[in-house]
Amino acid sequence: MKILIIEDEKGLQESIVKYLQHQGFICEVADDFIKGKEKVSQFLYDCIVVDIGLPNGNGLDIIKELKYMESKAGIIVISAKNALEDKLNGLDLGADDYLAKPFYLSELTARINAIIRRRNFSGSKVITFNEIQLAAEAQRVTVNDKSVDLTDKEYQLLEYFVANQRRLLTKAAIAEHIWGDEYLHVSNFDFIYSQIKNLRKKLMDAGSGDYIKTVYRAGYRFTDN
Amino acid sequence: MKLLTKTTVYFLIVLVPVLAIGGFYLFNQFSREINYRSDKELISVEIQWIQYLGSEAVNGAVFVLKTPDLSIFPTDATVTPYPALTNTYGYISKERIIYRQLSQVVAIGDNSYQLTIRQSQEQKAALVADVTRIMLFVFIGLFAATLIFNWAISKRLWKPFKRSLTKIRSAELQKMEAIHFEETNIREFNELNASLNYMTGKIYKDYMNMKEFTENAAHEMQTPVAVVQSKLELLLQDSNLKDEQVQSILQSTDALRRLSKLNEGLLLLAKIENHQYETTEALSLTVIVKKYLHLFEDFIKEKMLVIETNYEQDFLVKLHPRLADSLISNLLGNAIKYNFTGGKVTINIFKKGFQVSNTSPLPAIPPGRLFQRLSGSKEFHDNSNGLGLAIVKKIIETHHLQIHYKWQNGMHTFEVTEGLRG
Repeated sequence: MKILIIEDEKGLQESIVKYLQHQGFICEVADDFIKGKEKVSQFLYDCIVVDIGLPNGNGLDIIKELKYMESKAGIIVISAKNALEDKLNGLDLGADDYLAKPFYLSELTARINAIIRRRNFSGSKVITFNEIQLAAEAQRVTVNDKSVDLTDKEYQLLEYFVANQRRLLTKAAIAEHIWGDEYLHVSNFDFIYSQIKNLRKKLMDAGSGDYIKTVYRAGYRFTDN
Repeated sequence: MKLLTKTTVYFLIVLVPVLAIGGFYLFNQFSREINYRSDKELISVEIQWIQYLGSEAVNGAVFVLKTPDLSIFPTDATVTPYPALTNTYGYISKERIIYRQLSQVVAIGDNSYQLTIRQSQEQKAALVADVTRIMLFVFIGLFAATLIFNWAISKRLWKPFKRSLTKIRSAELQKMEAIHFEETNIREFNELNASLNYMTGKIYKDYMNMKEFTENAAHEMQTPVAVVQSKLELLLQDSNLKDEQVQSILQSTDALRRLSKLNEGLLLLAKIENHQYETTEALSLTVIVKKYLHLFEDFIKEKMLVIETNYEQDFLVKLHPRLADSLISNLLGNAIKYNFTGGKVTINIFKKGFQVSNTSPLPAIPPGRLFQRLSGSKEFHDNSNGLGLAIVKKIIETHHLQIHYKWQNGMHTFEVTEGLRG
């Protein structure tokens, strides 16, 4: 899977690349509008992560260019402006998703995964992790071909874990992914414990390995070793 | 004191001495004229008397004549060359009367005679009364005319000023640009209005600059925060980290998250203040409350809260969906967050408003701290950014709503109702 990251902030760009590479993506970068436009017109990508505020131009124009070229790449807009307007503009122009800075790298990864899967018309839409299979469209999960009955939130949690497998995921990041950032002020993150406990129990009851590891006082890690 | 009263008072202060001096001058002029005529008459009378006495003196007669108005008697005094004309007073039945008097010592034959003739000048007293009366009439007439005139034209005259005043009173920082003080046909008001136009223009420009700066600063802040957060997230993936180091990273991430949320909250406040969320469509509060009860389901279950709802009638309110979400999520969120396990939340929605009540281990919120920014409860160490109620208050203020807080029997209640328009 090939990803293009168009982001002028070096530090953020490097972090994204490093994290995505670790999750098995091939990454290319462009740090201004002109380079971004060049790369977009010369190479094919599965997903493009584009910042709106770029030197020499606006990221939204790159989306227009991609749509003009009838590109099949998924597009995620990232912006420092958490403005409704930017978000709507981006989505109207044909971006698949919008992420306001600052965001969790794990969140970005989960979104990239979701977009690629949605756009991957020819290929399989099934995610596999050892004996666990997720049928993304139907949101159905099987362990060793045996169906597991998960709630919506448990399913989202599992998908998020698989997309960010082997990474340490903090409770805050998990909570924000499942419940959205607007509701975080309502509670501390203890409530996610019961959700994760239920998910783990259901998976293990269905015969999967114990992949959800608790990292003491920090969060969780989904891993098979 | 009204400007009109003040000018009238000044006018009177000047008018009184002017009229007094005028009256005095007038009286003097007339008095001199009267004296002049009296003097002429007195002199001609004297001449007649001297001629008459002169012709009689040939016979060697000596005269003594005394009437109230004329006295002739012999004297030893030296003869005076000219008659002396003076003002004197006399009394007729205790009434003081002004006289003009001529006196001269004249030589008639061999004798010297003291000759005194006087003429009543009663008309002078009448003159004083007349002049005073005239002056009084003039004064009263002018005074009345001034009052009527001022009253009649001041309303018209001050109209442009009153208009400007009304505009200044209703001026709002965000709408300063739309204010224009127009030209009038009075130079002073034009000067005032031109200055006011300049001032409002400058205030608006400064305000816009400041607003833009704040917004830009807030946005620019998110990028470095994003960099730091991503670095911390990567750092966390290092498997060689000790527990202590992991904790430090987590705490830094939390603090950073709070900073970013705080920034977002302040931006939201600024945007509400700038009326960037205008809407004309009314939305149903019941729908939003239900939406949030669903979204908060997990937290409610976790805390084992009892939710009591009473949707008497739907409360329809003209609010941007984003603000309606913010309003309900803050009030309902607080009711859940500051509750204890097994507590209660009551939601009442009625035609003109709604109420959110909750049990809480916290005491009543002191009124002064209620809607203050960043003065949130420190007793709960949480993810609160301390802006929730300030945002609620701002939404209320900008949408003709009212909010009341009360604490009764351990229940904290926030009530939002329709306010007076205007």
